This record gives sequence, structure tokens and C-alpha cells, in this order.
Amino acid sequence: MIRHPLIVLAALFALALPAAAAAAGPSEVPRNSLDPRVKLKDGDRYLRDLSAQLEIPREEICKELLQYDCFRDAFRIVLGGVDAADLGVNEPLEQEALTAPIALDRVALRVCVTRVERDLADPKHAVLLRGAGPKGTSPSPAWVKRTVQGLYDRILARDATPAETAQLMGFYQKVSASASPADTKVKDWVTLGCFAVASSVENVFY
Amino acid sequence: MYSGSAKERGRLSWTPGAAFAALLFGLLGAFAPHEAAAMPQAAAAFCSVYPEAKACASGAAPCAMCHTTPPQRNAYGTSLAARIAPGQPRPLAVDVFLSGLRDALKLTEQDDADGDGFSNISEIFAGTFPGEAASFPVSLTCKPGEARQASQQRWNVCAYDPIYAFKKVSLDVCGRSATRAELSTFQGLASNRKRWEPALSAQLDRCLSTHYWLGKEGAVWNIANAKIRPSHTVKAGQNPGPVPLADYEDDFNLFTWANIGDHDVREELLAQYYVKRVSDDPVKLAIMTEAEVKAVSRRASQNVPQERRVGLITTRWNGAINTMFTAVPRTTAAQAYRAFLGYDIAKMQGISSVPHEPIDFDAKGVQAPQCAACHATLDPLTYPFTRYNGIGRYNYEAGRLQNFVRSDGKRVTEAPENGILLGHKVKDLMEWGQVAANSDPFAQKVVGDYWKVLIGRDPETHAQDQAEYTKLWQGLKSPDAYNYRVEKMLHGLILTQAYGRP
Repeated sequence: MIRHPLIVLAALFALALPAAAAAAGPSEVPRNSLDPRVKLKDGDRYLRDLSAQLEIPREEICKELLQYDCFRDAFRIVLGGVDAADLGVNEPLEQEALTAPIALDRVALRVCVTRVERDLADPKHAVLLRGAGPKGTSPSPAWVKRTVQGLYDRILARDATPAETAQLMGFYQKVSASASPADTKVKDWVTLGCFAVASSVENVFY
Repeated sequence: MYSGSAKERGRLSWTPGAAFAALLFGLLGAFAPHEAAAMPQAAAAFCSVYPEAKACASGAAPCAMCHTTPPQRNAYGTSLAARIAPGQPRPLAVDVFLSGLRDALKLTEQDDADGDGFSNISEIFAGTFPGEAASFPVSLTCKPGEARQASQQRWNVCAYDPIYAFKKVSLDVCGRSATRAELSTFQGLASNRKRWEPALSAQLDRCLSTHYWLGKEGAVWNIANAKIRPSHTVKAGQNPGPVPLADYEDDFNLFTWANIGDHDVREELLAQYYVKRVSDDPVKLAIMTEAEVKAVSRRASQNVPQERRVGLITTRWNGAINTMFTAVPRTTAAQAYRAFLGYDIAKMQGISSVPHEPIDFDAKGVQAPQCAACHATLDPLTYPFTRYNGIGRYNYEAGRLQNFVRSDGKRVTEAPENGILLGHKVKDLMEWGQVAANSDPFAQKVVGDYWKVLIGRDPETHAQDQAEYTKLWQGLKSPDAYNYRVEKMLHGLILTQAYGRP
């Protein structure tokens, strides 16, 4: 289950976002589309992508109450799917459901928690949280930066921009200022860094 | 360009006669709908004044030109109605109405009925609706300075962006994001159209064979949902429901077959065979032999003889959920009209009244004026379905209507097997299928279904889409272009500006 401190940190991270975004500067603000028609990457494709990106088998990547597949059984219609035979929903909802962001955040966090738990359980095959240094010590800035790059590389298939890197590194500073043990801080930061990138507009829409 | 929700409007804009009820009911009909219904020249009269208008591409204006929900008029319809033969007692005679309409159209050209800042006439020629404020012309063209700026941005919103299209093809058709390696390779080609176009096409081909696209509950399967309307409760065959009547998987398999590879998509309405799913991952489909068809258990058997089969409209499933126990199965015909030709009669789409109809062979009261407006179209296109049994026998039976004398009256046996579809006389359901499959609305519907999946909106929503959409559906029909091959058409679709401009 998601632990309370993680939620607090998530809120902290959200607060940090506007400032970091502003730091990106006007030169990085793209011109608006003349014909905006951004589409939601529905839950099926969203989890399929995360499964490949984070190396978790699709059937294991996200289980509500540890038993129901997050898309097929839990949030199918909310996350843009259809269920013609049982529910009579022949086409995706014309407009995304009000609860879609909640469901999506929940799925993203569940996936990232799963990934980090697996990394801790099997450090030799860790995907995100690896090589952080001896237990109980704080990782180096180089490791933090490398991890940020790894998140963007895996999830968004591109390099993080300097602004994005600074944003997540700055977030690490905030997390590391907490009173938690060093290992917990690292774990929480990687989990939420993963969550931030996995739930970003860029990863959810196309 | 045009903005606003125009699903129904767009359909109607291609419907000869669909506008009749509009201009009839609205301009006269609010007072006397049945008298208005006797004047089908109104929509054509609009187009005789504005033959170059986009809404008149098929010869008749759409309902939405003057109406919200007929007979309710929109702002433009209201404005026109007030100017048609002012002072004359209502309802107007047909000739008075028609001459008055011409004058009223001219008189209101420079007005802005919906107050969106564009004159009625500019909207009519831009392909937007002068009576709807949310519909107005907008430009999708970048100024030179903007185009230069956009070309240096991460997303070039002023031109087709092959990298953007590549990413979309991967997600839309493969069901996954492109990998970094794939993107890197493709980016190396993106400056040279001669190199990126074949690479994009190759990516589409790879994706078209994926389980995501072809598999059970995959993308193609889901396009068929609204046509087949599966319900697990009455499913027979594998994984049956509690009341097994028929197996909709036969229908999905045939639909998928017609939409993939080098198959003719018209087989949706022409096939006289069934298709089996040999395996689902990898997807492998095959036409069933007649021996295999006959060997299917009685609970899911296909009973219509081969020579009487008409693709998806004579399957057991179609009979079970649409025809059921009805003598004159209007629901079956209306669903076929909606699913394969894009006309939803319940929304006054595809109305093309046949003189002297409806006759009401089954004594359902459809001659009442408020019913006849639709049933004058619906009933003649339903008659060819009357020889196909629904729940029970699921077969073709020339004397079928004899079974309904007790419930529907003696006259029900007089209902003919011939009918009228899209203005064409058809002698039976096989001809119905031929006329439908070869029609423009069928090609428009096929392309429109994929357009919506890949581009994310209906093609008619944007007036500047029209040229690309029209080229695609006309290409689908052309032996020299896509020749009714969906996959070939998709190669064209992903090269449209609508798809590839961020």
C-alpha cells in the first residue's frame, strides 16, 4: 500500500512544479497548435508502455487490491477503454471522465511503487533504483542526475532537458532534507520521480 | 475552417433528401408538418441557389443548416422563415414557399444569424453553419513568420511532421510508443521525404499485423462494436452467456477479414461465407468451408443458405438481436443503414422519402404524419429484410410473412421482398447489399470510422479536412487507388495533414 509520507512528498513535489516550469523560459514554450486534437493514451496502451519501459510483465504491473488488473478490471471505461459485450460501451467516452486523472495517478503511482519494490528486492536486476551506493548513505549528485536521465530515457524515450533535470534534482534536495533514513529518502524520491514522469502530460497524451 | 461538434451535421450534409424534413418541417412544418412533408424540393432548392456550397456536395442541404432538432429551427432557420413570403397565410403553398425561399436566402446573406461574427453567406461557402454560433470559419494556415518559427520548435505545428506521425502510428496501430531506438533511426530519415515516407509506411505495415490491431477486442474489432453490438448475455459458441442465442464472434471475424490484408471491405455486405479465427495470437483468420459451417453446433449454427447470405446483415447474430420476432424488421434495416452507411434515421439522417410510402403492411400505424416522415424512407429499405427469420429459425424463408398473419394482420403477407435503398430499386436483400456496398455513403463510413480512430474526431468537424477526407473515400472506391482495401487506404490516411500536423 502507499504510505503516508509518500503522499506528503507527492504534494511537496507538485508545489515545486510551477517554479520549475517557469524556469524553462519562453524559448521552450512551443507555438500553439492550430488544430489541437491531443488524444488520451488509453489505459491499455498506457500500461503496455509502462510494462515495457519499466520491465514489469503486463499481467503483474498494476493490481487493484492486489488482485484486479488496473485497466481491464478496475478503470477500463474511465481510462478510455470500451466494453461492448458486457457493459454495452461500444466506443470510448467522447470526453474523458472526471475521475480519469484520479485513476491515472493511482495507476502511475502503483506501477512506480511496484518497480521500486522490485528493485529493492532484487538489486542485481534493478531498473530504476540501482547503484545508489552503500546502504544508509546518501547517493552522489551524479547518481541523482543519472537516475533522472534514466527515468526520461525509459519512460519518454528522450533525454531530460536541463530544466527537467534541475527540477527533479531540486526535488531530491527537498526529500533529502526530511528526517527519514537515507534509504527511505532515496526510495521515496525514485518512486515519486518515476511517478512524475509516468503521469506527465507527455506520457499520458499524444 | 470550421469548428464545433458536427457529427450529425456532417452525416446529413452527404444525405440527399436528409434536409427535406429540415427545410420542410422548419420553414413550414412547425405549423403543419405533414403538409411540409409533401414538399421535398426545399433542400434541393437551397442548393440550387448555392450549388457551390460545401453543404450541397450531394445536392441537398443538411437539416442542421436550418434546424437544431427538426422541426425546431436554429437562428438561421428562424431568420429565413420570417422572410419567406411575409404576410402570406401559413402554411404556405409549395410554389409560394419555394419562390419565397429563394428570395429569403438572398435577403439574409449579409446577416449574421448566429452572431458569431461571420455573415451567413460566408459561412455557407466556408462549410460552416450560419445558424450555430459554435460553428464558424477559422484558418488553419500559418503566416510566413509563424511557419518559420514553428519549423524550429520541437513540434512543427505549421506543417506535416513525420516524427510526430511516426509516434502516432506506433501508438494508434501498434498500441505502444515507439522505442528510443526506433525513433532514433527514424529521426535520421526525417529530413528527406523520399526516405521517411517508406519508413513510415513500413512501420504502419508492421503495426497492421499486431495483435493490438487485429486481435480479439483489438482496434479493428472495436471499430465493429457499434455495428455488431455484441452482448455476452445472449452469446452462443465459445464462452457462452446465460441465454445463448447466437455467436457474435462470427460477425467480428468476418468484419476483421474484410478490413485487413488484400481483402475487399465490401465483403462486410457481400460475403456469402463465414470466417473462423484459427488463432488469436498470432492472429490467423480463414474462410470456413461449407462443411465447417454445417458442422457448427445447432445452438450457434448459421442457417441462411449460402446463396442468400449478405455479409454481416444476414448472420444469426444480426437476426437474433435486431430482427428477433418482428415481421417487418425495421430495427434490422435501421441498424444496417446506420452501421454501414452512416445514416441514423432516428436522428433524421438519410431521409429520402419514397412516394406512396409507408404502406403499413403490418398495421403499426406508421402512416401517422409524425411517423411517416421517417417511415417513408425506412419501410422501403426494410422490405428486403422481411424474408429473413430472427430468433428461432435464423434462416431465409420466402413465405416467412405467412407466420405473422395472426399477430400483424392479413395484409402483412403483401409486404414485398423488393425495396428502395438510396433511391435505387432493389429486388431483394442481395441487391440491397450490392447497392449499399458500392455506394458513396458506404465508402464514407468506412473511411470515417478509421479517421475517427486515428485522427480523433469525425472528418466533417473540420471543413479543411474535407479535401483530404473526400480524397480518401473516393480513393477507397477507385480501382486505381485503394480499390476497397482498407490497409492501402490507411497508408494514405497517415500522410494527411489532419493526421501528421501536430
